[in-house]
Formats: sequence, structure tokens, C-alpha cells
Amino acid sequence: MIKKTSACLAALMLLGGPAFAQSADSGRLLASNCFQCHGTNGRPSVSGFDRLAGSSSSEIYSELKEMQGKTVGNDIMKVHARGYTDTQLRAISAYFAAQR
Amino acid sequence: MIDRRKFITLLGSGTLGMLLNGCGGGGGGGSSDTSTGTGGTGAVSPTVPASGVSGRVVVVGGGMAGATVAKFLRLWGGSGLDVTLIERDRQYQSNILSNLVLTGQRSMASLAYTHDKLSSAYGVKVVYGNVAEIDPAGKRVHLADNSSLPYDRLVLAPGIAFDTLPGLETAGDRIVHAWQAGPQTVTLQQQIAAMNAGGVFVLTIPKTPYRCPPGPYERACVVADYLKTRKAGSKVIVLDANASIAAEPVTFDTAFNFTHAGVIEYHSGVTINSIDPSTQTLDTSAGLIRGDVLNPIPPQRAGAIVSNTAGLANVNGRWAGVDVRSYESTALAGIHIIGDANGSTQPKAGHIANAEAKVCADAIVRILAGGSPDPSPVTNSACYSPITASTASWLTVVFGYDSATGTMKAVPGAAGEASSATRGNYDDMFVWFNNLMGDTFA
Repeated sequence: MIKKTSACLAALMLLGGPAFAQSADSGRLLASNCFQCHGTNGRPSVSGFDRLAGSSSSEIYSELKEMQGKTVGNDIMKVHARGYTDTQLRAISAYFAAQR
Repeated sequence: MIDRRKFITLLGSGTLGMLLNGCGGGGGGGSSDTSTGTGGTGAVSPTVPASGVSGRVVVVGGGMAGATVAKFLRLWGGSGLDVTLIERDRQYQSNILSNLVLTGQRSMASLAYTHDKLSSAYGVKVVYGNVAEIDPAGKRVHLADNSSLPYDRLVLAPGIAFDTLPGLETAGDRIVHAWQAGPQTVTLQQQIAAMNAGGVFVLTIPKTPYRCPPGPYERACVVADYLKTRKAGSKVIVLDANASIAAEPVTFDTAFNFTHAGVIEYHSGVTINSIDPSTQTLDTSAGLIRGDVLNPIPPQRAGAIVSNTAGLANVNGRWAGVDVRSYESTALAGIHIIGDANGSTQPKAGHIANAEAKVCADAIVRILAGGSPDPSPVTNSACYSPITASTASWLTVVFGYDSATGTMKAVPGAAGEASSATRGNYDDMFVWFNNLMGDTFA
């Protein structure tokens, strides 16, 4: 029991406690919009679309920004990415970066 | 400074959830609800946190919306949340891609899904049976076998029911709508296969809202494509009760006027009065129309459990009015309606039913934890439609909550369709479908 508590405390301290829990939580529902095509928590069932789990937050964010800003061509992610604000894109990116 | 992100990656989100919940102390019995199941390509199911909020949620209907909400209630709510899914059928037959059964490109078996992973990987209790009635005051669901289940929150995902078209009820297997994948899909496939060269296939489309807005147009395209090569000189006559094409207008206008020109004949603003099965004739607002195969898609309403529960069907008497921040009924507290059965501004289709289910699951978990739903949920609709045996189109719409109207509204600039039907889209269609079904059932 003591051992478990100290492990928990250590984890909380490392993660910054409630602040982390809150941000992961707010990104989770937003990020779940990606699950249908990219798999639950960003781990696809079949290959073909990007695996998002475990990519760095900056990598996911910059790719989404690039899709959003495309002025030529027409693909589904170019349209889809425009559905989210900058803050929302950051929350989504952070969520997937935190997945295994 | 320890790299926080790397640490989380090493620790793994499941372990992390368990640690944090363990520290919190509260929650359910702490049963070991770890997942061991694997998906078709070796994807490992996420772990259900060992505790979380507590409460009893009953879900009625195990289709796209119901399966998703059951899975995510456990995934996000933890093992302290008692989730029971009541479903009539042992298998879910996907409506998505079922038009390809009509052309012989897919088998029914390849589009069948079970609820096994929901119980084995997520600890959802699956009960196969029929719901007799709901007691909203007593918060109980009564089943046809006289058993009953108490709930703190009830989620209804019954899909759609069909209106009767005069004449159709006496037609038996001779005339089917096949707008609910199942035995009728096979019947329609056999009727199309038995058509002679120069035959006429007549498809009728009801006024919106109906299930899967692009679906009827997609069906017209794939049937036309099939007839072109196998039944020379055949025609597909489309009688649309709507004033114009209800989804992907550019895609289907191109398909009807170029890709399938000379095969598809499209008429808008045509409604059906009655059907005469003995002469295979439709009595329509545009006159009598005969076909070798008639495929009338009837107008639709919410599944029976919504109509049978007083007060729920409060949108045009057909659909359940909901607060789209939680999908809770605007009439009866504690009852949530997700998927095709609700009267929201979003389309009725599997992909967005999955998105609605997640908003609902998140809201229920927050409510049971003493909080309130996300004040600004986002959902998205996306769909790939086959146009020929080797090309497809797509559509996507992102919806955001509009507090002024209390509805989900398309985010400006975030709605569109493919500029052309391509082979690449056709390949992507199967990736989309398999991942969507994985996110829903596995």
C-alpha cells in the first residue's frame, strides 16, 4: 500500500498533477474525431492512413496546419483540417503525442 | 528536466490511468479489466482504467452508435461504470458498403460484425433480447422476456424504422427497399442478377432526412455500372422526392450526366403514391412508371423504441429531440438518443453516429462524475461512395456546437466533396471502412 502511494505521488509530481489530467481530458473528445479513420487513440486497425499515436505533438500540429493552409488540390484532410481552431489543433496533437 | 512526453510514452497511457485512478481512491471495485484482445492486424485494444466513475448505463441497440457508446463509456468511464448493451441480433450487418453486395463485389459475411470485443476487451455486458418498454420515471428498461434492468443513464441507439408505402406491404419479396442491410440486400442482389438485357431498374428516394444521404445516389451509380457491362441496354431510373440531389451534388451530377450517361435517368421532385406489385408499376406524381426491378426506399422515422416511449419523438413526430452537448432527450431526463434516431441537424450515417456516441459517452462520464458536458463539442461526418467498380468519391463535414441556436452547425470552410471519382479514393474507402469498424466494434 505504501509502495503504491509513493509510486502514485512520484507519477503525479512528474506529470504535474491535475493540470495534465485536465489538458489530456479536453483533447480526448476532440481527438476522438480522428479515431474513425486513424484508429482508436490513433492506432489504426489497418494500414493506409497515418498512425497518429506516439508522433510528436509538433509533428502532428505542423502537418495539420499545412493541410489547413493548402491552396491547391483537393483532398479530404485539407477540408477536414479546416474544421478546427488553432487551439483545438494543439489539443488534438498533444493528445496523440501522449499515446503509445 | 525529465522529458515529460517521453515519460508518458514509456509509462503507457493505460498504466498511467490506473496509477492516477488508484491515487484517487474512489470508484468501483477495482476488478482487473485489462484487455488482451487483438484486432485483425495485431492492433491491441486500449485498456479500460481500473476504476473511474460509478453508475449503471444501459445502451439499447448495438449498431454503429450503440456499439461505439458502449465501448467508449468503459474506455473513458473505467471499470466502475456498469455498461449493459441490449441488442436483438447476434451480428451487426453493416449498411456501409452494402451497395457492393448488390453488384457481387462484397459478400454479406464480409460485412458482418459481432459484439464479442465489446465484452472481451472492454467489459461491456451484452444482453441479446428485445426491449418491451422503458419506464422513464422508475428508470428501468423492461425486456420482452419479463426481465428488467435499472439504469442511472439510458442510451437509445435504435436506428430507423420505415413508413409503409401503399402496396409495398403486400409485395413480399418481390419488391424490397434493402435500406437496412440484411436478407433484403440479398433479395435485391438476386433480382438485379436475374435482369435481362434492356431491363429497367427503378430506385425511389424519400425526402430528407433519411439514412445515409449519398447512399441512394451511390446505389444508382454502382447498379448502373454493373448493368452496363452485364445487361446491355438496361436503364436505372431514379425518382427523387427531393428538389435536387441531396448529397455530393457535383459528384453525382457528373456521374449521372457523364460517367453513367445513357444508363441513369434522374428525375427530381417525384413522389410515390402507391405501388402495384402485380404489374411492377409505381404510381407517382410524374405518372405511372414500370420497372423490371422496383427498389422504393420508404420515408423513415426513429426506431420503434423512440416512437413507443411517450414524449421522445418530439421532432416532427418522427425523431427524438436532443441537446447535442450530451444527446440527452429534450423531453425526458436521463435518456440519451444517438445516431440516426435523433433529430439533430447532423446527417444520419454510421461515421457521424460514431462521433455522436463519443460526445454522449464523454458527457455521461462527466455527468456521473458530478460535472457537466463539454460546452462546445465537435463532430465530423465523412464518407466514401463508390461511383463505379473501381472509383469512389468522398465527402466530409466538421460540425461545431452553436450556442446561439443550440445546434451543431457546419464549420465554415470545413465541408466539401471530392472533385472527381478516382481509384485512389476507392482504395481509401476500404481503409476508412475498416478503421471505422475497428473504432466501433474492436
